[in-house]
Amino acid sequence: MVSAYGRRFYATKPELAAHRIEAIGYQVGHQLIERYTMERPRFNDHLEVIKFICKDFWQELFKKQIDNLKTNHKGTFVLQDNNFRWLTRISIDPSSDNNDGSQGSSSEATNLLLYFPCGIIRGALSNLGIPCAVSADSSNLPFCSFMVRIKA
Amino acid sequence: MIACVAVVGHQNNPLYLQSFTGADDALKLHHIVHCSLDVIDERVNNPKRSVITLNESYLGLLYPTESYKVYGYLSNTKVKFLVVTTDLDVKDTDIRSFFRRFHAAYVDAVSNPFHVPGKKIISRIFAARVSGIVKAFAPGTYG
Repeated sequence: MVSAYGRRFYATKPELAAHRIEAIGYQVGHQLIERYTMERPRFNDHLEVIKFICKDFWQELFKKQIDNLKTNHKGTFVLQDNNFRWLTRISIDPSSDNNDGSQGSSSEATNLLLYFPCGIIRGALSNLGIPCAVSADSSNLPFCSFMVRIKA
Repeated sequence: MIACVAVVGHQNNPLYLQSFTGADDALKLHHIVHCSLDVIDERVNNPKRSVITLNESYLGLLYPTESYKVYGYLSNTKVKFLVVTTDLDVKDTDIRSFFRRFHAAYVDAVSNPFHVPGKKIISRIFAARVSGIVKAFAPGTYG
């Protein structure tokens, strides 16, 4: 799906493809969270919601929990996954090792792929009443970290 | 006898309202459902520590009027489910299981990729399932 959007539909405008993929992830996260929070009692605060995302939600999606959670207690959380399931089979192009600022094609594909889980996290959190912005960082495959910034 | 069921979104926008009385009193039921929303907000924002724990999804009897009773249920995503019933004595367990089935049907309806979140639910399968749940409920209260 990601490659269809990246190469065919928006071949000349990767920013638009990224936005669309993130929007699809948003809707998926929105609907999934409705299903997975059905049986649970209500959450008390933001930290409980993030912990739910790290444990139960991630477990349902990727069959493992988030390995590391960091926060600055001011509304920013970093979720680290040591072995992100969707990136384990991505081939790393050796020629992109000596790039300094220029994007190899493999890292571009990885970035497009990462917009989808960012959207899922954003959709899940906003359906639980927490507007936020999510960005991903994958400098060291398959280790991956997602930074969640809660708005206001 | 269940008079109507309603689903209201987290911005208090109506997502689904279905009446089962056969009479043409949709407006009156709209009003009753709207008043009950205020009761829900009150319960959520000022929790009475002796009665309700903060984590309960099921809110119980909200609003007894002269001929109706309204029961409420709040999901984690702030979606409110309301049931208006004319029964005099309804067992708590029956209503709880009704809400569980209602919530399951709602989750299935919302998972439809063609459904726009925030708009009304127009799925006919959802309407059929809800009618089925309501019909299954009525005889159970006498059992």
